[in-house]
Amino acid sequence: MTPVLALFTPKGQHNYGLIISILIGAVAGGTSILWAALGETISERAGVINVGTEGCMLVGCLAAFATAVKTGNPWYGVVTGAAAGAALAAVHAWMVVYRKANQLATGLVVFFLAIGITDLYGTSYVSSEVHGFKNLAIPGLSKIPWIGPILFNHDPLVYLAYVATPAIWWFLFRSRWGLLIRTAGEKPESLVAYGLSPAKIRTLSVIAGGALAGVGGAQLSTAVALSWAENMTVGRGFIAVALVIFAAWEPMKVMAGAFLFGAAITLGSQLQVHGYKVNQFLLDALPYLVTIIVLVALARKRKNAAPEALGMSL
Amino acid sequence: MTAPVVTPPETPTVAEPPAEPENPYGRFGPLVKWRPTTKTARSAGRILLAYLAALVIFGAFVALRHINPLSMYHSIWTSTITNRYGFGQVLVRTSPFILAALAVSVPARAGLINIGGEGQLVVGATAAGGVALALGTHVTGFPALLLMALAGMAAGALWAGLAAVLKLAGNVSEAISTLLLNYIGADVLAYLVYGPWKDKSGNGQPASKPLPKADYLPTIGILKAHAGIIIALVAVIVVAWAMNRTKWGFALKVVGGNPEAGRRSGLAVAGLTLSAMLVGGALAGLGGMVQFSGLEGQLRPGLAATYGYLGFLASWLARHRPYRVALAALLIGAISVAGNSLELSSHLPGGAVDVLMALVLLAVLSQKQAVKA
Repeated sequence: MTPVLALFTPKGQHNYGLIISILIGAVAGGTSILWAALGETISERAGVINVGTEGCMLVGCLAAFATAVKTGNPWYGVVTGAAAGAALAAVHAWMVVYRKANQLATGLVVFFLAIGITDLYGTSYVSSEVHGFKNLAIPGLSKIPWIGPILFNHDPLVYLAYVATPAIWWFLFRSRWGLLIRTAGEKPESLVAYGLSPAKIRTLSVIAGGALAGVGGAQLSTAVALSWAENMTVGRGFIAVALVIFAAWEPMKVMAGAFLFGAAITLGSQLQVHGYKVNQFLLDALPYLVTIIVLVALARKRKNAAPEALGMSL
Repeated sequence: MTAPVVTPPETPTVAEPPAEPENPYGRFGPLVKWRPTTKTARSAGRILLAYLAALVIFGAFVALRHINPLSMYHSIWTSTITNRYGFGQVLVRTSPFILAALAVSVPARAGLINIGGEGQLVVGATAAGGVALALGTHVTGFPALLLMALAGMAAGALWAGLAAVLKLAGNVSEAISTLLLNYIGADVLAYLVYGPWKDKSGNGQPASKPLPKADYLPTIGILKAHAGIIIALVAVIVVAWAMNRTKWGFALKVVGGNPEAGRRSGLAVAGLTLSAMLVGGALAGLGGMVQFSGLEGQLRPGLAATYGYLGFLASWLARHRPYRVALAALLIGAISVAGNSLELSSHLPGGAVDVLMALVLLAVLSQKQAVKA
């Protein structure tokens, strides 16, 4: 077999060749980033940068994992994960909207709060076992060669993300609510003219964003890792914040970007599984390097895409 | 013929001088503008209330874990303030915090947000460790420490300079790029201590060869702390001088206030951005060197983890004013040492103290005056 073909075709005890494996991992591993980045998109469209997305993911991870361990049902975990993310985001929202605190500094404090809370309550779950989400092969679709296993043999939260991404696009760009959110991020003062409260709209958007980040955390701990570890998100939430910028605040582009990072994250382990010798540390740094490189490459395009009042207090 | 009547040129109407703003202190004003008013008393009261709220919320957190909050706060107090050894520990912890915080303050003066103290600290420590390994026993004592400090500062400046270049050439937000560079910095350190710099004669742990005793920062007897605190305080004084008494510091402030105005008045905004980040990075790198040569002596993964973030928070706590930064870093240092005693006396995990820290910082950031940093 030629080496190139070996990358695509079954090899040894593994079911798929290297490229397919990486793409499968890209979708599974990128989904947590996708959820967080979708949440950040809503938040930033409303004018609030939430660097605390990393923290919202982290509390989502732990809340979902703990709930899944206690109840045996990962769906309850998704609910508590979202609630935890939303609660943490509410702290951020209150600080930046009503107390007019600096968004970046507050976001970092919120992240720190999450590190502390998850350490305080998470140590007892470090070696717990969980009945997490199992992969559901979609009948018919999963049989399509190449595309089937890449896209249609995943945990339910991946499929939910396939639906949520266009739904959020529709919500932001075609619904009245979306119009209000985007106005809160572009010209908040014009909402006042209509008798609406930009503060309320921003607050709700940030909380909704935190809930989605919490779902992302739930996917990471109860579908991908099936374990809890201290600070297990290792910057995925920060990558999500960067991703929203270079995806020009558009949900469909956010999805493409999230899977690109999923690929960068999974590359190392897939190469090792398939017997390639690679430098582990270079691969660990890859997602962050890729983020920076893409940010530079797309700098020109996104220049005018940012919501006008992004990062500004009301 | 009569001479044409020359109409005298109209006298230009003199604009009315603007009305003097009403001076609440009377026509000539007071000699001292500040006087304690109900307003200042109220704002001081608000800040005290905010701190108190943070302490109460954290008390509730630990009470949920069946720990008596009052005895916990008592043990925090006795382990950090009233105990001389404990206070020495606080100073040891405070030194890198001060330097990491100044690394935020200097760029913040120019309106730049450096969240990369974490990575800059780590690469600074790594460079200092590399120099120590290279020097071995050929150069020891003060010259070795000096070389380590220079290497640490250069590495930190490089790491922050990368973010500045990305901002200037690539239009990438420095807040994002410095955050991402933190993870890459930690990775560089991990690569070195698991690989080429691993101490073969060690006990198998991923760590570099221990620093010879003669190369440690000297200990200051009275303080029961190493000389890092002196280095940090000198840095505070130098930064305060540079910020408030030099042209450079003034230019940074102008650019930070309004970059367009800075550009129009002929300031080299790009150069100022770069220099602010380089100086900030060098300070964090020096902090890494202090942590390495004062306390750690060995490079290991996770060295100085979260120190950069804590420095960031200290700087925001102090609204980026150098002398207040030193005090804020001392507060954070005390809380962080208290965390160790909590771990021992109350069996709380080490991260519990991060909750307290975050609550205190939220309390401070939530004060509306804190916006005008």
